[in-house]
Amino acid sequence: MSLLSISNLNLSIGKKPILRNVSLSVAAGEIVGIIGESGSGKSMTAYCVTQLLPEGLTATGDIRFNGQDILATSEAGMCAIRGAEISMVFQEPMTALNPVHTIGQQVAETILIHEPQTSRSEALERARDALNRVELPANRFPLSRYPHEMSGGQRQRVVIAMAIALRPKLLIADEPTTALDVTTQAEILTLLTRLVREDGMGLMIITHDLAVVADMADHIHIMQKGQVVENGPADRLFQTMQHPYSKALLAASSHVPEREQPQGEAPLLEVRHVVRDYPLPRSALFTKPESFRAVDDVSFTIRKGESLGLVGESGCGKSTLTRAILGLEEIQDGEILLSGEPVFTGKKPNRAVRRKMQVVFQDPYGSFNPRHRVDRLITEPFHLLDSAPSDREDRIAEALRSVGLTPDDAFKYPHEFSGGQRQRIAIARALIIKPELIILDEAVSALDVSIRAQILDLLAELSESHGLTYLFISHDLSVVRSITDRVLVMQHGKIVEQGETQSVFDNPTDIYTQTLIAAAPRLPEDLRNF
Amino acid sequence: MKALLFNRNFAIGLLLTAVFVAGALISFVWTPYDTSGVDIANKLKKPLSDGYLLGTDHFGRDILSMIMVGARTSIAVAFVAVGIGIVIGVPLGLAAAASKGSLMDEIIMRSNDLVFAFPSLVIAILITAIFGPSALNAIIAIGIFNVPVFARLTRGAALSLWQRDYILSARVAGKGPARISFEHILPNVTNLLIVQGTIQFSLGILAEAGLSYVGLGAQPPIPSWGRMLAESQTMISFAPHMALLPGLAIVFTVLGLNLMGDGLRDVFDPRIRREKR
Amino acid sequence: MLRYILSRLQSLVLSLIVASIVIFATVEVVPGDPASFMLGMNAQADTIAALREQLGLDVPVWQRYLHWATGLLGGDFGTSYTYRTPISEMIAERLWISLPLAIYALTLSTLIAFPAGILAATRRGSATDVGVMGLTQLGVAIPNFWFAMLMVLVFAINLRWFSAGGFPGWDNPLLAIKALTLPAIALALPQASILARVMRSALLDTLSEDYVRTARAKGLTRRQTLWRHALRNALIPVLTIIGLQFSFLMAGAIIIENVFFLPGLGRLVFQAISQRDLIVVESVVMLLVFAVILVNFAVDIAYAIVDPRLRGTR
Repeated sequence: MSLLSISNLNLSIGKKPILRNVSLSVAAGEIVGIIGESGSGKSMTAYCVTQLLPEGLTATGDIRFNGQDILATSEAGMCAIRGAEISMVFQEPMTALNPVHTIGQQVAETILIHEPQTSRSEALERARDALNRVELPANRFPLSRYPHEMSGGQRQRVVIAMAIALRPKLLIADEPTTALDVTTQAEILTLLTRLVREDGMGLMIITHDLAVVADMADHIHIMQKGQVVENGPADRLFQTMQHPYSKALLAASSHVPEREQPQGEAPLLEVRHVVRDYPLPRSALFTKPESFRAVDDVSFTIRKGESLGLVGESGCGKSTLTRAILGLEEIQDGEILLSGEPVFTGKKPNRAVRRKMQVVFQDPYGSFNPRHRVDRLITEPFHLLDSAPSDREDRIAEALRSVGLTPDDAFKYPHEFSGGQRQRIAIARALIIKPELIILDEAVSALDVSIRAQILDLLAELSESHGLTYLFISHDLSVVRSITDRVLVMQHGKIVEQGETQSVFDNPTDIYTQTLIAAAPRLPEDLRNF
Repeated sequence: MKALLFNRNFAIGLLLTAVFVAGALISFVWTPYDTSGVDIANKLKKPLSDGYLLGTDHFGRDILSMIMVGARTSIAVAFVAVGIGIVIGVPLGLAAAASKGSLMDEIIMRSNDLVFAFPSLVIAILITAIFGPSALNAIIAIGIFNVPVFARLTRGAALSLWQRDYILSARVAGKGPARISFEHILPNVTNLLIVQGTIQFSLGILAEAGLSYVGLGAQPPIPSWGRMLAESQTMISFAPHMALLPGLAIVFTVLGLNLMGDGLRDVFDPRIRREKR
Repeated sequence: MLRYILSRLQSLVLSLIVASIVIFATVEVVPGDPASFMLGMNAQADTIAALREQLGLDVPVWQRYLHWATGLLGGDFGTSYTYRTPISEMIAERLWISLPLAIYALTLSTLIAFPAGILAATRRGSATDVGVMGLTQLGVAIPNFWFAMLMVLVFAINLRWFSAGGFPGWDNPLLAIKALTLPAIALALPQASILARVMRSALLDTLSEDYVRTARAKGLTRRQTLWRHALRNALIPVLTIIGLQFSFLMAGAIIIENVFFLPGLGRLVFQAISQRDLIVVESVVMLLVFAVILVNFAVDIAYAIVDPRLRGTR
């Protein structure tokens, strides 16, 4: 008999169905992956199991945990189960811990709530054990630490320690690594797998990323629009998939856009020995602020027509470098040349150079002033021209058409578009003054895989038709691998490795690059050409 | 706009406020009785007697007419004071946000903190001690106090907007901080400013009433609600209507403005709106 | 922690210096000469000059500022133009009414607001919540001096439970507290309403935080989550408002003292204004501003006690 079995679970908000006839089961010691894009109902399934649904929602169907009928259990009964029998780990480690309590207090609380007869000192001792188990050793992470003194990955370990302190039978992890860097993600996944094996616990891991669970889960369920559309043992599922959605999802995950781009030899962008220091906030009014070196002696060149990738984890300096290239911030040393001309001359950014490059950002929701119409939004770069072009309307129509939208879309507001469409508008804005270089700063990172594949295809097509050069900045190695010719790897403000994308990925020479590539979640190799 | 009128708070608030604004406006062309003359024969009439809807005061002046003319003073003082706060505070807040972390930001914020240490009444005391009491000095005192309120609010909201990617896009398009502040930041903080504006308006009415009550506000013969209350104090035991009615006028106006503010916030702030659904 | 306190202390001192300069400068721009004003129209030029010398008005501005500021440090506020008595004595006497009144009112307001705000937040949408919110909406709209007048009408004139004004002195503390009760309630009412609303919305905000969800997933009940996790975090915005309220209370006390004929700082300041005794006005204003700055410093320290993130890394 399985530990958790869900059958015919239904849930709706008002008239809108959120879950439809969801059935799945988790056995002791089994890792079950639940995959789906945003809005597929995968997280709601987890909230049903712990009965932590938003107020006013009730699920129907049957959820059995260890033989107990969860949907019929009282709130008091659920409080006794949560944290002791079923535990949860959430997506956002930065906000999941109470900022005003020490980590020791928070882990010990799990124990004290469920075993009130335990003495405080004993609870703290057991909290120590739990922290040791998640590899937060006492010498570096005493119980008196506060969450703000730790990194995201370390905080996620504390959350896991709270969850496993009482050795629950079932652990539910809702996107536990989505907010983390790849190397940290790999460590957390290894940790979770180890804990499952040691305690014989069932693990339900929820993610949008097929690759994350591909080599970890025993059983995989794929959800779409509140339904389980495909499920099977992980080792056979990829071969036996039937449902068009799961096939499309898999195809999109391993999508490689077709590109054929004649590359010139002439350098377009030259970055030479660039240094960027940031002043740290003043500790008091008249003290001289200290500084932090975010970009440290970086040099590289992009040739015309080339697609160059820049990968690195958060905080490595890639965003700072982007801003320096765009001429938004002064650099302290070195020079940045576009077609041989400096981006920054003296104190003033060079407009003539700036109009040759544009940028597309990550967040399709924050990229547009919500009060402006599309025509005003995408013509903003005209500000860089000496006079507004006379064929404004034609250029708006042309830009919108080239990204797959219609000229009528010019009269709509950004909130009338979906995330993928907005990213198309952002590309139209970049194209409208016919730049030579487009910087794509995590431009597809916030998109669901199927939309991401479409945008990557569009970018490949545009680079050919418009003769564009791309600087592709991302933390996502698989995306960089699929669309770039050469790649730079950045760590602690320095470029640690650069070369042809294929050869860097196949034979990384730098230790950090090796760790990064090894940590990146991957679909089974034979599926890449699926 | 439609959503606003369907918001219960806003609708009630608008109605209350409109009554007093209308009263103030009508008083420019017509009041039931003349408020400047003294009519001792008809002094201290109870409400609803001899054609006096709200009775008369110790000089025989019609209280309804006094309240209508007094509304003029209250609304004008509070309105101009909010205007001062917005006109000076908002640009300061925008400038501070645009130059975050710079010395200018530091100076603007520190001077705001300093002004906060002087409650409007203390500012009024200082000003009147030097220039003498008047409605104008009341406006200045309340207005100065409003400046840091709007500066802080604008800076806080602007700072989070400066993090948005569309600001970066505007910078990539070569736009400077001043242009970005007016084109992208200001339109997106207006909602907040309107909500805070109604709240400061109501606080302004309360402050004006307090100042004229202690004699630091509008001087005779300009009628004001606060002074009506001050004059009624010695007669409260035998003519309570003189104290009750102007006080109720203040309560209803302030309540109306606050309800309007709440309603506006409900409709403007999508976070709260979602919560209510 | 020490570094944080030092940096707050530094800004405290700076604020005091700037505030004293602002106040001094404002009084400096007064049109006319205090000496001739005090002596009236027909005074002889040499009498005026003598008084100017006596008042120390014949030296340059910056010397007078330094003299005044160093005096303040030693508790010497100078001498009243009108009464020719040391201002520090006049203030000390009045402070024994104004300060207890402000503290009394702040205590009342906190005691009312906390339970009301917590109750409303925990029962959001219930009749209790609607009732509490309605009352606070009204409480915010009522001018405190008018509320004070109504209380005098009901409790002093009609019911005769309290006296309508005046202060019996601290010889009998119970009588003194009784005399301050109606004024304190009048002061506390609007403040309690504001504080209750802030408490409620701060609690609702923290209750929707991720760490509250984490706590629920650990097996805490709603009530346990509220007391152990939400409340302490909600205190941060509430503390800010308590700090701000103190300055409103000081100002409000000036008006309320007028309603109840309490011989506090407020009465002193109005007398001084009508007698153009500028140095008294200047001193009282400085004292009020000093109190507000000091309270804000205390609030800053309280922040650091509540929120470890402000203490910095040890």
